[in-house]
Amino acid sequence: MVAKLGMDAHWRGVIVVAHALRDAGMEVVYLGHATTDQLVSAVVQEDPALVGLSSLSGNHLEECRAVLASLAEAGVEGVPVVIGGTIPPSDEPALAEMGISAVFGSGSPLRTIVGRIAELLDD
Amino acid sequence: MTPDNPTSAGDRTTASGIPLPPAAGPDDVTPGLDERLGRPGEFPFTRGIHPGMYRTRPWTIRQLAGFATAADTNKRYRMLLDRGATGINGVFDYPSLRAVGSDDPRAASDVGRGGVAVDVVDDFDDLFAGIPLDGVSVSLVSSQPVGAAPHLAMFLAAAERRGFSRAVLAGTSQNDFLMETAITIAPEALPPAASFRVECDVAEFCIRELPRWNPISVTGYNYREAGADAPLELALTLAHGRAAARELIGRGLAPEAALPKISFFLDAHADFFEEIAKFRAARRMWATFVRHDLGVDDAAAQKFRFHVQTSGVTMTARLPHLNIARSAVQALSAVLGGTQSLHVDAYDEALSIPSEHAALVALHTQHVLLWETGVADSVDPLGGSYLVEHLTDAMEERAGALIDRIEGMGGLVAATEEAWVHTELSKRAFADQQALEDGRRRVVGINAGLDDGTIGEETVEPFQLPPGALDAQRRRIDAVRARRDGGAVQAALEAVGSAATGGDNVMGPIGAAVAADATLGEIGTVLRDSLGRWHFPLW
Repeated sequence: MVAKLGMDAHWRGVIVVAHALRDAGMEVVYLGHATTDQLVSAVVQEDPALVGLSSLSGNHLEECRAVLASLAEAGVEGVPVVIGGTIPPSDEPALAEMGISAVFGSGSPLRTIVGRIAELLDD
Repeated sequence: MTPDNPTSAGDRTTASGIPLPPAAGPDDVTPGLDERLGRPGEFPFTRGIHPGMYRTRPWTIRQLAGFATAADTNKRYRMLLDRGATGINGVFDYPSLRAVGSDDPRAASDVGRGGVAVDVVDDFDDLFAGIPLDGVSVSLVSSQPVGAAPHLAMFLAAAERRGFSRAVLAGTSQNDFLMETAITIAPEALPPAASFRVECDVAEFCIRELPRWNPISVTGYNYREAGADAPLELALTLAHGRAAARELIGRGLAPEAALPKISFFLDAHADFFEEIAKFRAARRMWATFVRHDLGVDDAAAQKFRFHVQTSGVTMTARLPHLNIARSAVQALSAVLGGTQSLHVDAYDEALSIPSEHAALVALHTQHVLLWETGVADSVDPLGGSYLVEHLTDAMEERAGALIDRIEGMGGLVAATEEAWVHTELSKRAFADQQALEDGRRRVVGINAGLDDGTIGEETVEPFQLPPGALDAQRRRIDAVRARRDGGAVQAALEAVGSAATGGDNVMGPIGAAVAADATLGEIGTVLRDSLGRWHFPLW
């Protein structure tokens, strides 16, 4: 399940990645823009194997923190959350520490993204 | 270019797939070139819109800026002007672009990001404090009509409070319905026809009230960055221009008054000659449309005036200093293509909004071009080049075919409603990424060159936003709500809603609502409530 959070405007990256995941045989639900609450209720309802977030506006730290907290609050366990977009490498440790399973910054090849997501799904 | 060996001497094409002759010669240029070129400053303006181009009028150095609060951004504007920028290019944050208040819960994580936060007219006081609005032109990157209308009303109110009359205010509103409905996403957008209608309301108001304002800047740049190739960028841009021209003339405005107010904004992407060809073809195609399709002979109405930004999507996060080279070459294509104004991207584009250092390197890159290289001394220096003329003709042909297709669907608004625009963009964005993945397209530091991934110094510190924008905006909104007459605001907002549903121009009532201290978010909400909400199809 992939989504964009907050008011970030850029859709090119998330659509390209969703397309690549589908080509790799995965079932992809693209939520478009979602608030944290909307995303969490979609997760509860659809029970996805993984959640992918996209952020190019710089809102990734706040939004990831909010999503992870709300998922925990809703009792969702064992669903890895990954993020891609304009994420400065210097923010990666903070994202890992809060519980984001993978970060795909600018320039990440699709094969890396698809491969890492497949690994997370196998775990 | 073959997938297996990109360095083979076999067939080559431009980035969009136009076959490239190995060494173009006279046979590659269709007869009748003199007629297709004309003289600089004359129909069809292929060689430029002014006879002397940069000899008489250097391009405007207009570096994009905007972050955090209006006070923070004002400092950046002034720094850029002090250091030699010649115009302002002000970008708004994600909520403000969509006329969503900073106090909306959905906005919280994006207040002050990617642009400056504005909520009330006081923000525009701070944004332009100390800047002589009768001397510096101001481009408001109010890309979405839902925001462009109230932004302009707030800008005018603030400028008039400082004593600047409408007659002296020079600038641009981006104001592009495709930005709202196809190019950038938002939790809620106006439907395409409604967004286009608001766009044209702003334009009509400006043509009547603001003699020095460009009320629409068709943002081909963003169409390109979202996935278009050069011909599609050009086709969407011109199709949009056509739609706006017809609508404004249909509203009873004289073509000689309306058409010179439509301006354009294009991308300078990586493929050097293809981009130059695109800029030249754009001028010729627009002039030809205005003369032949609209039957308008006025030269000012035929001129395709445009701003250029170098390509953000070509910037890399790895080896960011290489972006200085990329931007400089892209900027050169814009100058050789005859742009009227230019923004050069900063080397940290793929990481964050520009640091002060990166912003200044980008600014002074323009000075290097303007003062050191001699490229501003000759008009259309590539005119007559076999290759560039060949590509200019090819670009015209390919973009022309796409325009015919769009017009066949009923025009750009209909093509947007049918999701044709979204589909074409996302198809090309995916194909472009695949070309990068399989090595057909090479990017230094990503899939080519520098195998160890280093050039010695490679990290740049991402710009850290000054903290506190969200709290500052909330306080400001609260203060305005405390001082205003609530009943008057309510009545003014209802008038905006009535104009929106009744079909009257919304700009008058929006101006009155701003005068009553309505907030940006309130005006956006009433427009959405009246005109509808559209969730555009992407998947």
